[in-house]
Amino acid sequence: MREQISAHPHRHSSNGDTGASGSRAAVNMKKKRNYSLIIGFTITIALALMALIGQFWTPYSPTAMDSAAVNLAPCLAHPLGTDNFGRDILSRIMNGSGITYLVAVCTVLIGAVGGTIVGAFTGYFGGILDEIVMRLNDVLLSFPSVLLALLFISFLGEGTLNLILALGLLFIPSFARIVRSEMIRCRELDFVRSAKVTGVGTLRIIFAHILPNSWVSLLTSAAIGFNNAVLAEASMSYLGLGVQPPNASLGRMLSEAQSYLYVAPWYAIAPGVTIILMILGFSLISEGLRKIQNH
Amino acid sequence: MAEPLFEVNHLSIAFPEEVKGSRDLALHTVVDDISFSLEEGEILGIVGESGSGKSMTALAAMGLLSKDARILNGSIHFDGHDILSMAEEAQSAIRGNDISMIFQEPMTSLNPVMRIGQQVGETLKLHTTLNQKEIHLKEVESLADVGLPDPESLCRKYPHELSGGMRQRVMIAQAMICEPKLLIADEPTTALDVLVQQQILDLLLELHRRKNVALLFISHDLNVIKKLCDNVLVMYEGKIVERGGVRRVLEHPEHDYTKTLVASFPENAVEPAKENIALSLQHVNVYYEENQRALFGKKGRRQVIKDLSLTVREGEMFGIVGESGCGKSTLAKAIVGLNPDYDGEISFLQNGEKAGGPHDSALTRTSLYRPQMVFQDPFSSLNPVHKIGWIMTEPLRVLGVKDKKEQRRRVEEMLSDVGLDASYYDRYPRELSGGQCQRVSIGTALLRDPKILVADEPVSALDVTIQSQILNLLLELHHKRHLTIIFISHDLNLVRHICSRVAVLYDGELVEIGDVEEVYRHPQHEYTKKLLDAAL
Amino acid sequence: MSLQYFIKKFITLIITLLLITLLTFTAFTVIPGDAAMSKLGTDATEEQVEALREEMGLNDPLPARYFNWLASALRGDFGESYQYSGVTVAELLAARLPVTLLLAVMSLILILVISFPLGILSAMHAGKWIDTLINQLSQITMAVPAFFLGMMMTWVFGLILKWFQPGAFIDPSEDFMGCVRYMIFPAIAVALPKIAMVVKFLRNSILNELNQDYVRTARSKGARALRVLYGHVLKNALIPVITFLAMVIAEILAGSIVVEQVFGLPGMGRLLITSISARDYPVVQAIVTYITTVVVVINFIVDILYQFVDPRVKTTS
Repeated sequence: MREQISAHPHRHSSNGDTGASGSRAAVNMKKKRNYSLIIGFTITIALALMALIGQFWTPYSPTAMDSAAVNLAPCLAHPLGTDNFGRDILSRIMNGSGITYLVAVCTVLIGAVGGTIVGAFTGYFGGILDEIVMRLNDVLLSFPSVLLALLFISFLGEGTLNLILALGLLFIPSFARIVRSEMIRCRELDFVRSAKVTGVGTLRIIFAHILPNSWVSLLTSAAIGFNNAVLAEASMSYLGLGVQPPNASLGRMLSEAQSYLYVAPWYAIAPGVTIILMILGFSLISEGLRKIQNH
Repeated sequence: MAEPLFEVNHLSIAFPEEVKGSRDLALHTVVDDISFSLEEGEILGIVGESGSGKSMTALAAMGLLSKDARILNGSIHFDGHDILSMAEEAQSAIRGNDISMIFQEPMTSLNPVMRIGQQVGETLKLHTTLNQKEIHLKEVESLADVGLPDPESLCRKYPHELSGGMRQRVMIAQAMICEPKLLIADEPTTALDVLVQQQILDLLLELHRRKNVALLFISHDLNVIKKLCDNVLVMYEGKIVERGGVRRVLEHPEHDYTKTLVASFPENAVEPAKENIALSLQHVNVYYEENQRALFGKKGRRQVIKDLSLTVREGEMFGIVGESGCGKSTLAKAIVGLNPDYDGEISFLQNGEKAGGPHDSALTRTSLYRPQMVFQDPFSSLNPVHKIGWIMTEPLRVLGVKDKKEQRRRVEEMLSDVGLDASYYDRYPRELSGGQCQRVSIGTALLRDPKILVADEPVSALDVTIQSQILNLLLELHHKRHLTIIFISHDLNLVRHICSRVAVLYDGELVEIGDVEEVYRHPQHEYTKKLLDAAL
Repeated sequence: MSLQYFIKKFITLIITLLLITLLTFTAFTVIPGDAAMSKLGTDATEEQVEALREEMGLNDPLPARYFNWLASALRGDFGESYQYSGVTVAELLAARLPVTLLLAVMSLILILVISFPLGILSAMHAGKWIDTLINQLSQITMAVPAFFLGMMMTWVFGLILKWFQPGAFIDPSEDFMGCVRYMIFPAIAVALPKIAMVVKFLRNSILNELNQDYVRTARSKGARALRVLYGHVLKNALIPVITFLAMVIAEILAGSIVVEQVFGLPGMGRLLITSISARDYPVVQAIVTYITTVVVVINFIVDILYQFVDPRVKTTS
């Protein structure tokens, strides 16, 4: 009988053991599908598959130049055209998005693991350490990730590994905040008190009782993190501070394409649209997860 | 006879609802063909549990149903208008002017960023052509009318600066400022303490007499209805199952549901308590740390319990009563070891010998002398991401029971002890009703096989009929296991029915303690007398 | 407003600024290769470098160097650039600042002017086609990186339609209106994704408020939809939007760094990129300090603004 909560949006409903109430009649309505989640996953999985295949097989070698086929418009032989060196753009995108995904996955992993550990302990125990860490977090969080990545790169120097390290460290605060707020919310809840009274150990309370409650929030922020990572990687590589040539990367391709905008606009459009689809996929997933959470 | 002021005819309301395992939505009828009427200046009560459709009826009369609600059938007439067929514009001309409503939650029902004066005056601004100055005069007058002191400066305050009772008065002031003919009160006192509840009821009754406003009073609590209303409707599962004078319904209920509602408290056959003391508190002071999470925030440490001494005997059902904020929950937490910030002595005894305190290291993990606790909110006391089986196995893991089969056997045995079958082992808490959740909580606590069980308002979040089932379960376990139960409640009637001894807490101090009947018949302390007056 | 709150927030601001500058300063001192080396070039002798280090105070302990740096920074002295010898960092910044500032202000105006009406419109018609349209458009626009948008605008409006000449930046001191006209395009590129974000955020915030109990109370008094929205909901809904806007301003700064590159604007972002590549640390450090200060100060202003819009802040903090 818990469904009735929807009928009492303003009241805490605690219904009885008395079985179903009222009568049910068929109605010509459908439950809304979570289209955001479905479309988001479809886009993301399709692109990820393409990137994965691109690591082993591409129609042409992504670095093979062909002076007879410079700046070709999209055609049958080159579905997305060729660039100023006659390299096949589809092959370069397939290969280059792999690096983008690699950067995204690594950074989100670093951020999620680090953030979970920091957030779990500071959130559960509180105290002065918590205040210092969170003050630092707040400061870091108020900066956009592209900007912070730029600052970090200016210390660490450019390159893919440094980019991963920089972005990964930058993502720790956002995950830490999510986990911490979940810890703070839950540690005052009765089920945690109940576990304490039962005599369950602190570590077990944190990791077996509270943490599983934050999966959805963690997934949501992971999706947002992927989103930021893709954007940051593309921006950095565009600025020449991320992936270094001759490796293909979407941002790198855009920066090379800029000089040929007039003669070969497809050179810019193809990687640009790929980036948009990647980000769109992740943001639709996070949107869909948010809907689940609110439900 | 002239047409009644307010008339509901064959009203049915439904909501679309998800059906498990299907994408089709079904209509769930929450109000099912109800009819009633209200004369000018009459008071009518509607009683029923949550989900019985009583609030939906009121919201429909105000035209405030949420968008997905469907009115299947019926009409609502007010003062000659057919409300349901009116345009939104015409409806809002009546709302606040001729019909007003006050709601349950005084904490959230006022706009947090608007000054009190503005909120009270808004009703006038919407329905009259008075100028700013005249409106202000009326604001002050109507705030004074509901018994609020210093209305002039109150006008400039924001809701968060007021207590719950004061906010409810403000709600009443803004509902009454246009002198409506009908006031609908939807559980207006449920969120308030007993004494404040009494004051608000008195105020409503006084306004009714003075302004001759008709009152539709909705509550889950028959005792409250009894104080205010002459006539009552009993709603159950969307239908009106009984109607008539309050006295008649209370004394000679006809419908089965009404009968359980009226006779809702089980009686405890009080056994003579054993002489052995199970729990002893000596000069206990408990403190509460107010967390201020700012870099420069000062940590506030507030004393909640002041120099409290009492003893609870083995196998006793011991009641602790008091209003919210009196410190009863903080005391409970100190006893079970959730609040280490206390001084004085809390000790658990075995055959008269001290066996330990809440923070003795020998006791903290596995000892049977560690008291267990049942909490108020049935839904938040169970971890939503784990199955019932996992939750109930947790105490066994703590006790070191490693064998999976043995774990499962003991959990299923306990499930049947608390009146649930083995199929609940694989269910999630969200699939359970409030009463079932509370059964699981009790079972989890008892799997530690404690000598003492602390029950902190274990039934106050439940519907009346479910309350009696859970109380019966507690009483049964109490007798069968010779369990010492410390029963904490704000509800004096309840404690009177099931406890053998009672302690009354007021502002952190123990003002009265003794055998239940003695305390109820001859209260010694002023506060106890006031509480009893308000409750009976 | 309470002075105590202001002072508290102000002290927090100062401490945060000190912390950030200390962190960046320390970070820059541990980077291999120091100022003396960079200044003298690779063929300098060991003794020459050591002498210069001593002269520049690089051998002093870290706290002393930090306070030295801080003292001169407060006077606006960030030292000399390595890449442009003889030019002070302050001079470099002063030349680039107006461009960046203009871009940021124009983007912010665009965001405020466009996103608020759209967000309110969308929330008012929640579930209807117009809301769905705005929502879907926002979802897609949010996913477009500002620099790619800039490139597409350069292609369409600059190269095909020839509404502006890409790369031909007009200095604001020579022709201010001409500069503004040129800057419209980069400003749109920076603003558009943020507009989408603000629209979505505002819409959700309003819808969230519409579910609150006080809305039901207002309706029970006879207030109609528009009155509920403008009289009650909007003020509550805008409170979280203020914080969000602070984040957006920080993002404008970040977005403009990349967009300046696309449109060839001689702003601070471009200076930062070239300085990072050239390892011109005094310039990088000055820009980093500048940007962080702006972000922290904006957050401080937001905290103060909160006092005026949310009466609950006074008693709870």
